[in-house]
Order: sequence, then C-alpha cells, then structure tokens
Amino acid sequence: MDLIEKFISNAEEAAATVKIIRANANSLNDALIAATENELVLFAGPDDLDPELFSIFISNKNVITKPTKEQLSIISTGVTDAFCAVASTGSVCVSITKNLSSPVSMLTQKHIVVIDSRTIIPRPRDIFSENYLEGKGLKRSFSIITGPSATADMGPLVRGVHGPGKLHIIIIDSFDEMHVR
Amino acid sequence: MENINDYILHPRQVADKSSKETLQKAIKLALDVETDALRLNTQTFNTNRYRAVKRLDDYEELKNRARLIKEKSIKNLIPLISKVTKAIEARGGKVFYAKTKEDATAYIKKICLSREAKLVVKSKSITSEEIGLNSDLEKAGIEVAETDLAEFILQVSKEQPSHNVAPAIHRSRESISELFKRNFKTEKKLDTGEELTEFARDILRQKFLKADIGISGANFVAAKEGSILLVESEGNIRLTTQLPAVHIAIAGIEKIIPSKKDFGVFIELLAASGTGQPLTSYTNIIEPPLDLPVLNLNGRNDGKREFHLVLIDNGRMQMRDDEELKEALYCIRCSACMNSCSNFQTVGGHAFGGECYTGGIGGAWTVATTGSLEKARFAELCTGCSRCIPNCPVLIDIPRLNTTIKNRLIKADGGASLQKLFFGNFSKLGKYSSIVPTLTNFIVSLSISKLLMEKIVGLDKRRPIPRFANKTLKRQYKLYRKSNSIQISDVFKKGLVLFADVFTNYNNPQVGMATVRVFDKLGIPIKLSKIIEDGRAAQSQGLIESARQSAIKLAGYLEEIIDSGKEIIVAEPSVLALFRYDYKKLINNDYLFSKLEKHTYDPIEYLNKLLNHSELDLTGKIEIKKLNSDKIFYHAHCQLKTIGAGNTALEFFNKLGFIVEISNVECCGMAGSFGYKKGYYDISKNIGNELIKQIKKVATRDSKKVILASGTSCREQLRDELEETIYHPIEYLEKILK
Ligand code: SF4
Ligand code: SF4
Repeated sequence: MDLIEKFISNAEEAAATVKIIRANANSLNDALIAATENELVLFAGPDDLDPELFSIFISNKNVITKPTKEQLSIISTGVTDAFCAVASTGSVCVSITKNLSSPVSMLTQKHIVVIDSRTIIPRPRDIFSENYLEGKGLKRSFSIITGPSATADMGPLVRGVHGPGKLHIIIIDSFDEMHVR
Repeated sequence: MENINDYILHPRQVADKSSKETLQKAIKLALDVETDALRLNTQTFNTNRYRAVKRLDDYEELKNRARLIKEKSIKNLIPLISKVTKAIEARGGKVFYAKTKEDATAYIKKICLSREAKLVVKSKSITSEEIGLNSDLEKAGIEVAETDLAEFILQVSKEQPSHNVAPAIHRSRESISELFKRNFKTEKKLDTGEELTEFARDILRQKFLKADIGISGANFVAAKEGSILLVESEGNIRLTTQLPAVHIAIAGIEKIIPSKKDFGVFIELLAASGTGQPLTSYTNIIEPPLDLPVLNLNGRNDGKREFHLVLIDNGRMQMRDDEELKEALYCIRCSACMNSCSNFQTVGGHAFGGECYTGGIGGAWTVATTGSLEKARFAELCTGCSRCIPNCPVLIDIPRLNTTIKNRLIKADGGASLQKLFFGNFSKLGKYSSIVPTLTNFIVSLSISKLLMEKIVGLDKRRPIPRFANKTLKRQYKLYRKSNSIQISDVFKKGLVLFADVFTNYNNPQVGMATVRVFDKLGIPIKLSKIIEDGRAAQSQGLIESARQSAIKLAGYLEEIIDSGKEIIVAEPSVLALFRYDYKKLINNDYLFSKLEKHTYDPIEYLNKLLNHSELDLTGKIEIKKLNSDKIFYHAHCQLKTIGAGNTALEFFNKLGFIVEISNVECCGMAGSFGYKKGYYDISKNIGNELIKQIKKVATRDSKKVILASGTSCREQLRDELEETIYHPIEYLEKILK
C-alpha cells in the first residue's frame, strides 16, 4: 500500500471522512463547497499551502476570513490547512501560528482540513525527525489531529465533545500538478 | 450491584489508606458498587492495548529506547531544569520551581489574583490533585471549572480519581445520569452518552468563553526547546491552553526529557499503552507563550499571551535518591499497569489507590508525594502477579516497588504479622507436615482450627487450606527410582534435573512424579534436585532480606547443576519466574543470572523446544482416543506469561493435534497466598469467578472438557468451584502418552 492509500484507510478508521482531488483552485473550490453545504464557514488563511489554491473558494460569500469574536464563538464549520499528515494513524497536523487555524479547528463542530499528498509521512515519530518535512515539526507549535474529538467518559464512545464531532480531510494530490509552494 | 450514589460510604472517606481498616472498607465499597463498570472499562482498554501494541512493529525496541531516555533524564535532571527554564524564559515565559505543594499553589494563586481572575478553566492534571490546587484557589474566591468530562463528573460527585487516564472509570453511564439528574435540576434528557456529553459540553463551553486563565498539566516537557506535549481526546486541553491569554502548565519535574526529538519515541507508545489507540484525537505540541493572537472571547482586553510553567518537586528529588523507589519516576502515566492488573480491574483506584495516585505504580508515588509510608498501604493489593511488567512502556518493575513498600511497612509496623510469617515460612510448615501429614491435614481441616487460623493468622475460613501430601515428592521419587533406573539416552546424555520446589515437594508431588515419568518415557534422563528454600514465599510477603538469603544460597547450587551440563526443569511457574526474573535483583549477579535465565524451563516449554528443533518426535505416541475426545481449556499462570512461556502449552498441544481454548484473564486471582488471606478473599473469589464463568461457557458438544492450569494456586482457585479434575499440563501429557 502506498502512503496515500494507507493514510486514507487509517483516517477513515479514526472516523474521519476523506476526499482526494487534483491540485487546482477549481477542484478545491468544488470539494469545499460540497463539504460546507453553503453554511457560514470560518476560513483560516493557509499556513503552508499555496493561498492561490483557495482563491476561488474565499470569494464565496458564505466564507468568513476575518471573523469577529462573536462569529468565532458560534460558527460551526471551519476550514484550515495542515502542514503534514501521518499515514500509519490517519492524522493531520494543524499549526498554531499567528493565523487562526488552531481556533478555527477547535471551536467549530465540523473541521475541514486540506493537505498536500506530498506531505504525508509514514509514522507519527517522523514528525519529530529532521529527515522529514525539512524538520518543520521540530520548529513550531501544532496539534496532531486524529479523527474527531471523542470521549468515553460518559460510558459509551461519543464523538464531538469540546472539539469538532466531524473531521473531513481533503487531499490535494499534487504529484502531477505543481501548485504547491 | 448497589448504587454508588446512595452508598453508605463516600470514596473520599476511604481515600487515605493509612489504616488497615480503611483499606478493608475501601475494598468493600469497590466490590459493592464499582466492580461492574471498572471491569468493563479497564478490560476494554486492556484488549485495545494488546491490539494497538501489535501494530507497532518495533514495540520492544521502542520500550527500551523510552526507558533509556527516562533513565538519562532523571540522571541529568538538574541541568535539564536549567535548560528548560532558559528556553522558556528566552521566549518571554516564566518558570517557577516549586519545592513543596504549598509553594506551587501559592504561586499559582498569586498569578490568578494579580490578573483578577474569577474563573479558571482546567484540563486534567493528576499533579494538580497532588498539590491540592482546586481547594486552594476556591478558598481564594476563584471558580475552577474542570473541563475534562471525567474530571467534571468527579467535581460534581466530589470523588477522587479512580484511574490516572480515565479518572471516573468506576462509574457507569447509568450512575452518571442519576448523579447529573440529582445535581442539576434540569428538564433535559440525560439518558444516553450523547445526551450527557452534550449537556456537559454546553455548560463547559460557556466556561471556556468566559475563563480568565487556563491551567493544564503536561505529559512531557522538552528541555532544549521548552516544548510541552499534551495528549487528549476531547479537545478541552486545546481550549484551555489557547483561549485565555494566560496559560499556566503544571508539571512534575520528572516530565522533563532532553529534546523535542524524543517526543517521537513516546507519542506512539503512550497512546498505544494507554487507551489502546494508534494516537488519541489530539496530541498537542506547544511552545508557549504562543504566537496565536489573544482572542479575548471572554471580553477582556488582554494585550499579550502569558505563560507560566510550574515545575513541581514535592518529594521527587528525594525519590530520586531512593535507590528502590526511584524507578517510579520513569512512569509516563499511561495506565497500562492498571488495565492489565486483575486486582485493579476488580476494585479500581478507590481501593487500589490513595488520594490521587492509583494502581500498582500508585504506591511509590503516594510515598514520594505525601511523605507517608502508611498512606501507601494499598500496595498490599499488589499480589506480585507480574502481569503489568511486560506492558509497562518504560519497563518499570512495578511489583518490586510494592514489595519494597510492603517490606518497609513491616518494619514500620514493628515486625511481620503472623500471617506474613505463616506464608513467608511455608516451607517450614511443609517440613513439619511431611513428618505427620495426616495429622496436619486433620488439624487444619477441623472447624475449630479454621476459626483459630482465621483469628490468629488471618486465613479466611471459607478457603480450604492447601493440603499436604502423604508422601513428599522426595520420598516418592526415591521409591520410584528403586525400581526404575534413570534412562540413559544417546541424544540426551547430560540430562535434566527437576527442581523440587516447596509446592511440588509438599503439596503436589503428583505433578513432580508425572514430570519424572513423562521424561523417563521419552528417554530423557531426569533426576530430582535437593530440597532447598527458594525465597518465593518470603518475597511475596515483602520479607526481602530472607528472600535474598535463600536466593543467593540456592543460585549457587543451581549453578553447579548448570555447569555440569544439565538443564533445570521447574514444574511450579511461580518458582520458575523467580529464577528467570526476580533473581536478577535478588542475587545481584548478572553473569549467574543469565545462566539461570537460559537453563531453566517449564516442563512443557522444554518439550516444546525439543519439538521445534526436531529433537523429539511424538508421532504415534499419543492416544488417538484422547485426541478425538478431549477439548482442552488452558489457563496460563500469570508469571509464566510474563516470562514468555504462557503460550507454550497452547502451542505444544496444538501441535499434537488438540483443540485448545485459552483463558482470557490476566491472573486467576489466587496469586499465591493472596486468595487465602481474610481481607482479600472476596477480591480473589470475584476474579476467580471471571475465569470460572469462562470455563463453564466452553462449548464442548460431543467432546470432553479437560482443564489444565500450570500453577498450584490457580488449580486451588479452580478446584474451589469446579467438579472437574484440574491438571498440570505435564500430568495431562502423561495421560495421553502411549
Ligand atoms: S504485579 Fe500484578 S497485582 Fe501487582 S500491580 Fe502488577 S498486575 Fe497488579
Ligand atoms: S508504571 Fe508503566 S505501565 Fe504503569 S502507568 Fe507508569 S508507565 Fe504506564
């Protein structure tokens, strides 16, 4: 199994949903529109992916790029990018930076995350290795997100606690189209 | 099962285990109202953990690496503390070293007051329970909202944690529904996990949006980068550490490791060993104060982010100097030792735990952080079954820590109790009984003696006392050899020695004789050893010095046997495990220990090895009739599993063509002398019944159920409830050999 396939199967096992698309702004817009169902959406400008890819999507009027405090507290869908993903666990890594990716990915109930297929690494430990991602993982703050937020504290397993109950991952398969920084 | 919400005792009343009576009350509480939920939840974690670690192809190597990193970090703790302080201060954060818990809470309170905080949101931190943070803040008029759902439940029920990863693990969904309905006068339906979660989430979301300060714990702190790793599933840690402008992280000094690169070794291990997931929903790596702009969703106008790391000593430095208990500092609080412990599965941390630290590892932590040995009296609940050892990601010898605590308690209590002396010197009783076994058996079976034994020695009168055989193995072997000379074989020239351990010699000579006859039949020369005390009984009572003396003496004798080219067979698994595991520390001679490790075998394990190396051929030697009629149920002794020989009987009989079903309990609950003791009889039976339930369920259709158990105490536990004969695997092999 190659890394992408492995990633998809493990992300699904962790209760995320996954879609793989081509690397262009049109495909990404279509995929995001399908996933956000025209609801109000918080969008945190990408930390690592090429902003060009999102250019069509952010022109939709339901997309909010500079939220007020109130909007941050109540809007239930959020879109961010991730700087890498992990094949063996189906995880995505969202940075904590000056951008709002982190709050958008934790305050909402549905988190849609966009990753570049070339940043899928084999195992979680590789995030902390200089040999992968040019050592990016060693230089920043981030959350490794594996599936939706969950608890078994109330007895049975429940998804959607303090964080999103839904995690949707869009993989930009950019091996043939070089739109990514 | 009674209802925990209406129970006559509150778990808090039995949190401090300084007295033996409190420990007994706590056990009763747990058995009365907590066992069902505990067992279900811990066993789920345990099963998931076995599955998750199988997915780690380098699990054993990862554990070794994790252990090395922790050893190194504790050794270099002082420079690491300066390093982390520098790294965090360079970014504008603050680091406070708290020598005592009072120092820690005073510092945190000072920050809260100076920022005019009215509401603090907190994520799970056992260390904060250790320092009694909530009550100190509340006394200062600051509201503390526990945001981890389990901690939220405990804040409502006012209970102490019963588990270090899932602190409300003792509660069923039903008991939580009832608790919430009573506590929050609400019209909302609270009858499912979803409804309860949504209800709590809504309350807590409001707290998050208003909170002035967030307080978290820390799973690891990387010194070089001043980076903090926090693991969670709910998302409350992310909100706690990122919403308010002020973040305070509380970390025991043992959480510091050299650098961020080391996180890689721990993250997969921790998640797999804890909840049994490849990773939990969120693994957060933060280098605060964060670049993230202050959100001020709480309506404040905080200008910039502020971060404080409060490093807690509170006895840890002293623990570092304690050669015996120091190992506990390596603990990464994954909970595997609790989930894989039969006793813990049955009574949880309200009995097998203190005011905040729970389970097998909780004893050492209680001693270190409270300075009180007595409060760790719950260490008595560690039977030494050893099932936690292979599951600990940092390879801590947990039972050894508890033996140390038991040993120190004996000294503090002014000497060993009659009970400990009785079990610790079982071989002397055996020797006496061997002179007049019928009389001894007769006396101990009288109801008056049982009453006396219960009163004076503390043996539970409901438990049949182990019977002494009429003729010891030594005598039977002598008689047998008079008419059956030792086989001389070309293949096995040097031959074997059967070690005559106390249990096999005095109580189960039939197992020893079966071993001798099987090996004779197969043409493998075997002799009986001298009778020398091995130290097992003393060690399990915490009588370490006496165990050590026996061990050193016996190891010398065993070495002579090995040096003469012979292998040693041990029929009693607890004694075999002693040679192959405990002797490492008892005799403190690595060279000799490695010889013992290599040259001692369980009888079936030895035969299985011969089969695997094609040095033995059993084709045509097995009774076909038995093969067609018998279905085997096999319970592997706990310590046999730990030394890696738990599955050999399964493998062996499978190879012979038998269908074998194996037990799914970690330990039978008897665990040597544990199940005989008055205070522990009920736990022991409760665990034993799990195994018995499984045996009764074995579907046999037209076949005959044959029950095999290799340990003396496992067989006693099963005999207490079952009609069928319970065999040692070697006894059964004798029956099916042509
Ligand atoms: S040795 Fe056995 S009883 Fe003791 S803590 Fe480990 S699993 Fe529990
Ligand atoms: S002692 Fe080992 S198994 Fe137990 S909680 Fe600590 S690290 Fe985990």
